[in-house]
Amino acid sequence: MALLEKRNLERYRTLASVKTNSSGFPLYPPKASGIKGQRRLITSTGIFVILAFLPWLPILGWFTIFNPATNYGLGNIAYVFAYAAAGVGFNLLIGYSGTLGLAHAGIFALGAYGTAILSAPQECLDYDTCETIIRPAVAGYGWPFLVALPVVCIVAALIGALVGFPAARLKGFYLAIATLALGELIVKLISLDAKLWSGLKTNSGTGKQVPIFELFGSGQLKSAYFISLASLIITFVAYVIYTENRLGRTLKAVRDIEIATGPLGISGTYYKLVAFGLSSFAAAFAGAAWAQNSAFVNPTSFRTRLLVFLLVVLILGGLGKLWGPLIGAFVFVYLRQEFQDQQKLLFFLIGVALMLAILLLPEGFASLPDRMRDSRWVQDLRRRFKSAKVSS
Amino acid sequence: MSTQEYSGNTSSTPPLTLDDLHVAFGGNRVLEGVNIEFAPGFNGLIGPNGAGKTTIFNVLSGYVKASSGRALLGDTDLDTLKQTGRVRNGICRTFQSPKLILDATVMENVLLGMHTAFKYGHASELIRFPAQRKEETRAREKCMDMLEEFGLAEDAHKETGDLSLGSQKIVEVCRALVGDPSVLLLDEPAAGLGADDVTILLKGLRRIVEESDLCLVIIEHDLDLVTTMCPIIYVLHFGQIISQGSPAEITSDPAVIEAYLGSGYAEGGDDTQGEPNAT
Repeated sequence: MALLEKRNLERYRTLASVKTNSSGFPLYPPKASGIKGQRRLITSTGIFVILAFLPWLPILGWFTIFNPATNYGLGNIAYVFAYAAAGVGFNLLIGYSGTLGLAHAGIFALGAYGTAILSAPQECLDYDTCETIIRPAVAGYGWPFLVALPVVCIVAALIGALVGFPAARLKGFYLAIATLALGELIVKLISLDAKLWSGLKTNSGTGKQVPIFELFGSGQLKSAYFISLASLIITFVAYVIYTENRLGRTLKAVRDIEIATGPLGISGTYYKLVAFGLSSFAAAFAGAAWAQNSAFVNPTSFRTRLLVFLLVVLILGGLGKLWGPLIGAFVFVYLRQEFQDQQKLLFFLIGVALMLAILLLPEGFASLPDRMRDSRWVQDLRRRFKSAKVSS
Repeated sequence: MSTQEYSGNTSSTPPLTLDDLHVAFGGNRVLEGVNIEFAPGFNGLIGPNGAGKTTIFNVLSGYVKASSGRALLGDTDLDTLKQTGRVRNGICRTFQSPKLILDATVMENVLLGMHTAFKYGHASELIRFPAQRKEETRAREKCMDMLEEFGLAEDAHKETGDLSLGSQKIVEVCRALVGDPSVLLLDEPAAGLGADDVTILLKGLRRIVEESDLCLVIIEHDLDLVTTMCPIIYVLHFGQIISQGSPAEITSDPAVIEAYLGSGYAEGGDDTQGEPNAT
């Protein structure tokens, strides 16, 4: 035992730049040195670089729905990113703080409408004062998009925390119902804005045209694509940093040992509000990106259906898994586009997919590699491979 | 070992005083006029199950409001402080069953005990300034020293759920200690621990108490442990202190023998078998 300990200590010491205490015990979880220790950073960077260059890459070309060479495919991938970004925020709230807050559809709507209205040009019906006529239907407050976006996200985060305030005292079903109602209320309140009432009348309510922000003249679709990708990358990076540091473990404490947080000096209510705020920020950002992509927002887009979609994305991908939301969003958008003409069949299929996921892959598609590795079949294969190697 | 850090609170520990403390849940009177002055060092709190021992801890850590009477930390009335405020004033506690995050590492669990010691907020955590990283490293160093003191340094980066119940209880004690408490309330720290673990735990606690003027209150059913560790013991029975004094005084007090120790104890059995209500 002593020998083993000594050997372990020596191994820790030989690892480069390992911080230890005075007797040589490592302060951080031991990580493999060199490239192996940075595997996750390298894969994440690689995946995001590929996604960034996807519009110019011929891969996925055989896949009509996600073919980046067409406007249709590019738009679909952008939707995937927006849903995944909202899913990442949702993951922090449900997976880490353990609070089932369901106001996300409302916050998503806040992001979409907020940026649309703030960044739309101001109303102008007189040729003498303006070059082009801006009818009330498309008018807004004339803010630059890059100013409107952070303002909307921060306001949404504050509203999210506000929604969380009564909710932080509730648990389980009561919390779910309360936040669901508050989310619906947000959608209702949004449509009270005067500029919205004069929006475009559609069958299902008053819609609003979204002024498209063009990113460095890269074209409308590509800039929507990049804004969506940016929303995903920003939420993803923030999620990784937060969950691996102090906030992550504190939120876990609120989730698992809430009763004991008081004598640790941790305020459970405060941290629940922080989780609500952060996930609302992500949802609003995703909503803004989604609106840029869809170019038209309508209150019905944000009803409970959107919430169900987000939950489906999360459960299909894997709750609490890092890549879960992205994988789930790909699967979900694929299903939605493939069966968009048969809405009833779509919902039937989503239901079946959910049931199968819960039965066969309760931790979602993101857990598939782990499940494969741990399966008896693969382990048997590996054993045979090893014994064949030894005998030869 | 840099155990000097734990003796940081050089100012005299404010003695913890319970002044005529009453607690009632509805008609059920749990504490009826408890007067105790806990001194720095080991204090034992024993009594049969349901006597109100844990309720005293719950009052001190803010779970239960006293119906009358006061609990004083030095000159501060604890009633005026919220739970987090009590921690900042140096009251830490452990629980009968360990309350740990099972899917986090031991180190992360112990780091939770230093929550109030972190200066940097969560907004700057996203950028992680060098000073903030240094703060985290220093905190981890302190936690690692504490874990090493209690023989758990090898397990620091294991998942807490993989540890035995005994080790988990020690982890909880470590978590309470890294917060530099001036008053530490241990609720049955030795229940479920193996003999080796108990030795390590007591050795560590003794060392820390010697080096600082920590006021340690132990609820424990293992009478041997309490009598060897605590120079002063309080016996609680039906919400009242029926006896207090040195171990010798307690074990020979007829009221204590009748209420808690059982007649077998007085007849010379030095084991705890005569303890009628021990779990």
